Amino acid sequence: MIQELQFSYRSDQKPVFCPGCGDFGVTAAVIKALTDLKIPRHNVVVVTGIGCSSSIAHQFATYGIHSLHGRLLPVAMGVKLANPKLTVIGAGGDGDGYGIGLNHLIHTARRNFDLTYIVMNNEIYGLTVGQYSPTSLKGMKTKSSPYGAVDNPVNPIALAITAGATYVARGFSGDIPHLAELIKNGILHKGFALIDVFSPCVTFNNYNTYDWFRERIYKLDSSNHNPKDISKALEKALEFPNNGIDRIPIGLFYEADRPTYEEEDITVSKMSVSEADKPSRELIEEILSRYR
Amino acid sequence: MKELDDIAIRIAGANGDGIETSGEVLARVLKSAGYNIFAYRSYQSIIRGGHVWYQVRFGSRELHSFKDKADILIAINQDAIDNQIDHLSNDAVIIYDSKKMSIDKYKDRKIRFLDIPMLDISIENGGDPVLRNIVGIGAALRLCNVDISYLNDYITKRFSKKGETVVNNNISCAREGYSRATPLFNVKADPKVKDLYLINGNEALALGAFAANCRFYAAYPMTPASSILHWFAANADKGIVVKQTEDEIAAINAAIGAASAGARAMCGTSGGGFSLMVEALGLAGMIEVPLVVVESQRAGPSTGLPTKTEQGDLLFVAHASQGDFPRVVMSPRSVREGFYMGAQAFNLAEKYQCPVIILLDLYYSEHMRTISIDNLDIKIERGKLIKEKSYNGRFKRYSLEEDGISYRSIPGTPGLEFVAPSDEHDEYGNLISDYYAGIDQYVELRRKMHEKRMRKIDTMIKQENIFKPEIEKEGDIYLVTFGSTTESAREAIIEFEKQSSYKIGLISFPYLLPLDKDKTRDMLKDKNLIDVECNYSGQLAQLIAANTGVVIKDSIRKYDGEAMTEQYIIDRLNQIVKR
Ligand code: SF4
Repeated sequence: MIQELQFSYRSDQKPVFCPGCGDFGVTAAVIKALTDLKIPRHNVVVVTGIGCSSSIAHQFATYGIHSLHGRLLPVAMGVKLANPKLTVIGAGGDGDGYGIGLNHLIHTARRNFDLTYIVMNNEIYGLTVGQYSPTSLKGMKTKSSPYGAVDNPVNPIALAITAGATYVARGFSGDIPHLAELIKNGILHKGFALIDVFSPCVTFNNYNTYDWFRERIYKLDSSNHNPKDISKALEKALEFPNNGIDRIPIGLFYEADRPTYEEEDITVSKMSVSEADKPSRELIEEILSRYR
Repeated sequence: MKELDDIAIRIAGANGDGIETSGEVLARVLKSAGYNIFAYRSYQSIIRGGHVWYQVRFGSRELHSFKDKADILIAINQDAIDNQIDHLSNDAVIIYDSKKMSIDKYKDRKIRFLDIPMLDISIENGGDPVLRNIVGIGAALRLCNVDISYLNDYITKRFSKKGETVVNNNISCAREGYSRATPLFNVKADPKVKDLYLINGNEALALGAFAANCRFYAAYPMTPASSILHWFAANADKGIVVKQTEDEIAAINAAIGAASAGARAMCGTSGGGFSLMVEALGLAGMIEVPLVVVESQRAGPSTGLPTKTEQGDLLFVAHASQGDFPRVVMSPRSVREGFYMGAQAFNLAEKYQCPVIILLDLYYSEHMRTISIDNLDIKIERGKLIKEKSYNGRFKRYSLEEDGISYRSIPGTPGLEFVAPSDEHDEYGNLISDYYAGIDQYVELRRKMHEKRMRKIDTMIKQENIFKPEIEKEGDIYLVTFGSTTESAREAIIEFEKQSSYKIGLISFPYLLPLDKDKTRDMLKDKNLIDVECNYSGQLAQLIAANTGVVIKDSIRKYDGEAMTEQYIIDRLNQIVKR
């Protein structure tokens, strides 16, 4: 029984997403990726923040920590460093990851922990009922920007590449098989993977709709892009309406092979401290003797 | 030669003069000569210049505090004389260098001056001006009738890696200083000292934590907690994950992640960094993660005095974060207790699945003293951590147990998967904050879940029987203290009772939260109490009043950034008993 259950990843919890919300697609894609990879569910920890999308933790029958707004990456880092054998997936929204938690994204990326971070990017604050977000396009009218947002949007793809992430991709929750593939490869990738996902909010963002994305997106593949080339990757990252280019690439922007933090840390490379017994009395005595 | 119980030697100069290193050398040498040590430094938030001093008090008995007035001053510059002259005992000696400093202003003082060309000697012996400190130390040891061989041995041990020349230069300077002084004082050595450890507060705490299997430490540098980070970093090769994070928010959240994954995890900071940790402290309370947080206080508010001490964060850590949740606040009264509390914190955190805050202060963190650590059999208690469950169906991580403590699992354990949510939740960890909030059945469930968490307070009070003050000594009047102030009170009582017929008692609080209200009240009521703490508003007194209704009228408070000293307490005690 347990044997089978190990590979059944969907929980019995009713989703809180509005009908049509892009986060349904992300849920399905994560489950597909895990199913393909056959990672026993007790070895998976999904760490989320706060926001509509962060409640996704409850959609999975894995371990999960539904943490604080913007803080899922440090929590995920702690889990991973304590037990590097676990598969740790971070998931949250654009307000969570590119607004209040942006600091952590940059530092987590440069350290290259072996984590997969999925950002459900809907260019709006949904749970707080409709304010402009860090990725809202300039001029977007929302409850908190009735005259149009003045801020320029964050470019998460360019940011993550320059910060040192070693797998940077963008998916669309309207294309689940493609997204599932990106997530699967992100989990397989050794190092920090950011997967930015266009995940439309059907309730509060009537500008960036499924159709709006469908009209603009095209897929990156070997015929039009080389993800090992960082300058090309940055060039692609800048293809966005706010830069005067009215098309948006999805797929793998950038991939690099660099040692992970875990491989280079003096302790994590050798052990899972979460499983360590207490240090021997002899060791404590030896340390103490230095103070004699 | 005058026979004394203890002597305080102060070496003073500017930042960059090597004062701290020299002070440590002196402390270690005097320890090796068989003396009990209490060493403390005063410094500023600059890297060069300013006025810094390091005091080593050594004695034939255990010493509990540093001395307001030093007996010997090694002056490295003119400022040292000018700033320290009023902080010396009556028959003090100042070792100075007349080629660099003038004592003309002080000719009519009773203080004795010993003129040694410290700089010239250092130049003749290798040229490193830092060596003049060693000249001074050599002279000071001679004044105290301490054999120079202890200094020579220490120099050889400490500097041998740097080569023979360095060792020889140091030894020559020491000898030059030594030969220019004559013995004035003598302190009997204590044969017990050879079994003691000379260690500072932060080191003792970190070592205690590691002894109890703390394997994860995350921090952002902040005085006076940084040396905990340094200790863990230096010992990371023994199997500790040490992460310097981008800020304190990341530090505490990482520790929560590591603790959730089953590691004994700790983060540390001072008040400013703790302010950033506040939200996540509540997360640990809500998802019931065993988390240990160290907060070493410095003088606030805001950036305050980064290199000065205070006990002004007690009520802050006691109330930090929104909503009610159980927490433990404990504060070691001595370096020795710091070792054991560093270990005990993890057992409390795991047994009661709640955050444990170890409240330190700069004075505790940075002073170094000789202590005994006799019991190294650190017991590990992991509470209700399980590997399998006895029932079918989903794991109830937050089951409504009578004692308030649910069974806990860690990732990697098959069949015990659950989601730990910062939202209010049911027994499985499912949210009751969205669909269900406000529906009768869930209103009831919220009440039960909240009561379950809060019940842990009663459970720990009953099971542990530690959450009350300790009456260390009976008396006509009692000093009431917590944290490092306790040690100063202990020292003050010893000295005060030599001069007065009043018997002074001592009641100290190793644990500040939770408090066993009845027992605490019984111990305090009908006694003459004096609240002694290093803050303006009497935060311990407020905490006692709120928990027990006992209002302490008399107080001895200090909030100038300097530590509570025995003399400060004695002077105020005298005023109070005269009334
Ligand atoms: S408000 Fe928007 S983001 Fe939130 S669940 Fe509804 S559709 Fe999704």
